[in-house]
Parts: sequence; structure tokens; C-alpha cells
Amino acid sequence: MTDGEPLLQILDEHGNLVGDIPEPLTNDDLVMLYRHMRRIRVVDERMLPLQRQGRISFYGAATGQEAAVVGSGYALSPDDWVFPALREGGVALMRGYDLWLYIAQLFGNITDVTHGRQMPCHYTSRRHHFVSLSSPIGTQLPQAVGTAMGMRIRGETKATAVYMGDGATSEGDFHIALRFASRYQAPVVFFCQNNQWAISVPSSKQTRATSFAIKGTAYGIPWERVDGNCVLAVFAATQRAVQRAYAGLGPSFVEALTYRIGAHSTSDDPSRYRDESVTEAWKSRCPLIRFRTFLTTRNLWNEDKERNFVTELETAIKQAVHEHEAASPPPLSSMFTDVYAKLPAHIVEQQQMAQNFAATKPRGHRS
Amino acid sequence: MVSLRESLGLPPLVAPAEDRIAPDVPDLDNNTLKTALVEMIRMRRIEEDAAKAYGRGKISGFCHLYIGQEAVAEGTVLAIRPDDYMISAYREHAQALAKGMDAKGIMAELFGKKTGSVKGKGGSMHLFDNKVHFLGGHGIVGGQIPIAAGVGFAIRYNEEDRVCICFFGDAAINQGAFYEAANMAVVWKLPVIFICENNLYGMGTAIRRTSATATLAQRADGLAMPSAQVDGQHVFRMYEAVYRAVQRARAGEGPTLIEALCYRYRGHSMSDPQKYRTREEVEQAKEYDPITGLQAILAARGVLTEADVESIEQQVRLEMDEVVQFADTSELPPVEWAFEDVLVENEVNHA
Repeated sequence: MTDGEPLLQILDEHGNLVGDIPEPLTNDDLVMLYRHMRRIRVVDERMLPLQRQGRISFYGAATGQEAAVVGSGYALSPDDWVFPALREGGVALMRGYDLWLYIAQLFGNITDVTHGRQMPCHYTSRRHHFVSLSSPIGTQLPQAVGTAMGMRIRGETKATAVYMGDGATSEGDFHIALRFASRYQAPVVFFCQNNQWAISVPSSKQTRATSFAIKGTAYGIPWERVDGNCVLAVFAATQRAVQRAYAGLGPSFVEALTYRIGAHSTSDDPSRYRDESVTEAWKSRCPLIRFRTFLTTRNLWNEDKERNFVTELETAIKQAVHEHEAASPPPLSSMFTDVYAKLPAHIVEQQQMAQNFAATKPRGHRS
Repeated sequence: MVSLRESLGLPPLVAPAEDRIAPDVPDLDNNTLKTALVEMIRMRRIEEDAAKAYGRGKISGFCHLYIGQEAVAEGTVLAIRPDDYMISAYREHAQALAKGMDAKGIMAELFGKKTGSVKGKGGSMHLFDNKVHFLGGHGIVGGQIPIAAGVGFAIRYNEEDRVCICFFGDAAINQGAFYEAANMAVVWKLPVIFICENNLYGMGTAIRRTSATATLAQRADGLAMPSAQVDGQHVFRMYEAVYRAVQRARAGEGPTLIEALCYRYRGHSMSDPQKYRTREEVEQAKEYDPITGLQAILAARGVLTEADVESIEQQVRLEMDEVVQFADTSELPPVEWAFEDVLVENEVNHA
């Protein structure tokens, strides 16, 4: 892969404004964008050690990609449905999903609304129009297109936003989803977070196309490439895509070029397959530092605000971790609920077997 | 009158009688072209005879006829070598014949007889002959495409200069399997030529109902794969496109996607009432018939008389009569054969 197509940038790497602040963002919005990004960074920084200490089983951080998450999430209306990939839990938080519940999901104890039946990071909330991520790569793409086709059939002025990594663009589901979306003019925004690494596979081994965005051409889908570390550029491009969807003009594709600063997940060691000096270079392009510099020069943010925000957040996280870790595991019975409205006979039988088995165990198994 | 292709929003076909091979591609002499004509007539006749045999209850199950698309297979074969591979879907009888498979083995396979190319165990959709490097005959839509990529990988791995031709239909290009295999083929520069036979209908679904783009060749743009849309009813145009793709593939430059615009005169399968198109549309497509087109070219060159055509027809009729007779009089495979040719050692023991 070569970097063929230009990237939209509104703030340069040093935080200088090189374009127009997108309408209709106010100063309050700008501060809010920063707070959302900063929150993701703090949460990630607190959650990763928990996994390393064996207190949660898995975690996928968005470190370095906060602008792509927040800029896109901020362009959506609360009624739009979101189909995330691994690193967009921050979008749920932006939509008002409670941080306490977010942390509960990672522990999977009784306080978790999904009762530990999903891996960590699979946050889901109907109220926030946020669908659980799908661990299989790319399966969310056709699901999102189907949802968008439904919106169009119902005549709703809504959109569906679906996220994917660069690796997902090589999946058959990607092809199927884009073909259906273009044929049926589905109001869907495809958002590709190109962090340049699909676990250990670099973009150069993923495709010979000059970008991921250009893949839209094959289906007649308009596309745009943005500097994924510039939150304003990400917002502007996503907003254009959302507006197209609302106007009945069908799907759009946004590629945000960024870099995965950390490991793919907690089960990965990137030093084994990539040159970490490149990672160091990308750390200096941190989306948070860039945007904070911009806000500081406009007197919208300062060190006091930063300290207060982080301290308050860390206190809340500490309290939540304490409560969820102390919570009981979900009851054994929860394994059999929330799938069928009425349990079929074979599941009833399995439920009985599980309870009988648990009864033979001295401790730790609750019915 | 608006042509069929115009009504479908597709570019019009160039008249088939256009007698010119592009200068960047080696010319084909009259003898080669006459042989090509004979091959195309054999393809059509074997299919017509298969249809008749089907009507007489001699062939059971599925049967998908190639009639109308002969130039795609013949143009392709003219551009490749005998040791190149070919793999296809289930409309493959004529392609197998073009690749050099024995007509008797093909027909006997359709009849389900022990003399069939795969001993009567595969039937219409699973013709296979390793001797002529024809790798099937695949019943799952798009299922052969990743296999073609695998064949291409093997060719590269073994450092050979062969290519693999992969035929599939206009609906199969929408399968995830196409996209995944095509992407790998580009990334790894595999010598595969993807030939999408766009006969304008995926079973009964018209192409305009399944694709928002003007061409299917455009699908290659997202993969950085070279592609071309060609007139698949003109054997010259097919030959040129495949020749160029083969040159690239042999030079280690990777795959090409060729969209061959063509038209199937018969139904999707034998059980297709064809309510999705009009009789007039089918008749209109026949005006561009690949066989009469090539005949017209050779006649205009003064190397083919009406008597020659009659003689070829007669010769092919005699051959195919014998082929059908062979299939009809061959025996059914014995029941024990059902358990052979899958596992090297039969380890199944239910006792």
C-alpha cells in the first residue's frame, strides 16, 4: 500500500489551525471533544494494568486513536445506530453510557448488565443505540447495512455508523456490505480506523490499493480520507457522510489514518513484529496533545482544568473498580436466560443438568 | 430500436462481424480460426444434445447449459497453453470440452455412467480431468474462486510459468469468496485470470437489480487489480483480453479481472420457466451469436463456404451422435464405487 490519496487535516501536528473549524462546533463543543478524548485515555490507562494483574481477562485500548473515535462519534445524532469494532467503546460513553456500567462489563460480575456472558469491551445498550461489537472481524458490516436499509424503508431521517479496522476491509463481509449499501442506497457511514496494523499484519500486506478509502470506488460509494489524529477533520468528514445519509444520498466511506500506539489487545506483543521506533514517532503525533495545544492557545483549557478532570475521573474509576471487583459472580442460572423468551425443552434439560452438577461441588457455584 | 444492452444500461456490443485483432496481440491464422469455429460448434452441439437427453429422462438432477456463451470459453482457450489450469462453476460442460476433455467422458458423466469423467459420481456440475488441467465443475456459487487463488499460489510456489483461468458468473462476483480470493491474488501477485461471465442474469435476477455500478470490471478498482469489460460474444475480443492478462500473469505481475458480457439463450437450469425476460429479448441477443459471427468473418475472408459449414455441422453431428450413444449404452457405476476415491484409506468402520 502506498499513501496515494491526500488526507484532510484541520489542525496540523503542532496544533495550528490549517483549515476552518467545522460548523456548527462552538467553544463548548471543542472542550467537550477534548474531554471525551481525555476520558478514553484515562480509562484505557487504568484498565490495561487491571488485565496485567489478572483482575480482568481482556482489554482493547484505543490509545493513539482517540480523535478517530471521538471525532466520528460526535458527528452522530443520538438516534443514529452505532455498530462498533474493538476500539469504539468511547462512543458509548459519549452517548451517555454510564462509566460505572462500562467498567462493570469488564469484570462481568453481577453488576454487569450482560452478566459476564460476553468478553470484556463488548458494551451494549439499546437506549444508547449502541450495538455490541462482534468479535468475528467484519460481521458488523452487513448487520449495519441491514439496519440502514430498514431505516430507509421506514422513511426515517437516520443513519447507521459502522466501524472497522484496516484488517476488516479484506473480509468477504466488507464486500457484501458495500455492495448492498450502494445498490440499496442505505444511509450508512462506513468508518475505517486505519491504524496500520491488523494485529501483526501491516497495511502493506493487506492490500495493494493506494488507500482503504478508494475501495469505495468499486461500488460507486463516495469516500474521504482524513488525518485520523485530527479530531476536527474526523468530525468534518463524518458529519458530511452523515448529512449525505440523512439526505437520502446513500452510503459514504471515511478512512481515518492513525496508528495503534499499543498492542492489538492484551493478548499481543507488537515488539515481536514491528519496529517500535515508528511507534515512538507516532506517539509524538498524539491526538490529545495536538488538540490540547490548540485549546490552550485559545484559552479554552488549562492545567487546572486538566488536573481536576483527570482526578475526578480517576476517583470515579477507582470507586467503580472497587465495587465491581467485590460484586458476586453472576448466578449459574443466568447462563440460560436472555436468549429465548420461553426456554425450549433441551435447554431446560441442560439447565437441570448444570444445577445438579453444581450441587455436587463444595463451593463457588451458585444456582 | 433500443438494444438489449442499452435497455440494461450497458454499453452496446460491437458487431460480431468486425474482423480485426488488436495489434498488440498475436494474430490468429485462418486455420486456427476454422478450428476455433469447429470447437464452438462442438460446444453448442454437446449442450443441445444434453438438453435433448435431459428431456428424454436420460440425465437427472441439475443441468446448466452454456449455449450462447461459447466465444468466452473459446477465446480464452486460444490465449492459453494446454498445461494452464482452468476451473469453473456449474455451467462448465462446454468449457471442459474447450479445455480438451473427452466429449464421451463429459456426456457419460452427465448420464451418471461409470465411463464418465469422474465415474458417474459427480454429474453435470462436477466434471473434472487432471490430464487436461480442468479442475472442475463446482456447485457452490463462487466456491471455485478461492480454489483458483490456491492453484495460483501453488504455481508461484513451484516457480512455474503457468496460469489459472477462473470462470464465474455475474452473481458470484458478489460473494465474499470472490473478494477475499481476488485480494489475496493481487497482494501475492498470483497468476490467476478471473473471468466473470456476465450473462446479465443471476438465475432470474437481472444485473441492474444487483449492482449500482456501471460495470462489474469496476469491482477490481478497490483491489488495485487491472480489469477490462469485453464483448464476450466476440471470440476475438475475448482472445485479446485473456492474452493480455496471461502475459501479465506469466510475467509475475499478478491477476486480472475480465468481465465478459454475454448472454445465455437457455434458462438458468433445466427447471427455469424464464419469466424474468421476454422471448424478444432472447431473440435480440441471438443477433450477436458468437458462432454465426465467426462464420461471417471467415466467409468474408473467403476461407469458409456454406459447404464447409455444412460439412463441419455434419461431422460434429456424427461425433455427438456417437457420444450420446456411448453415454447411453455405458453401465451405471456399481454401488461399491460410492465409497471409493474420497479417502486414500477407508478407515470408516461402523462395526
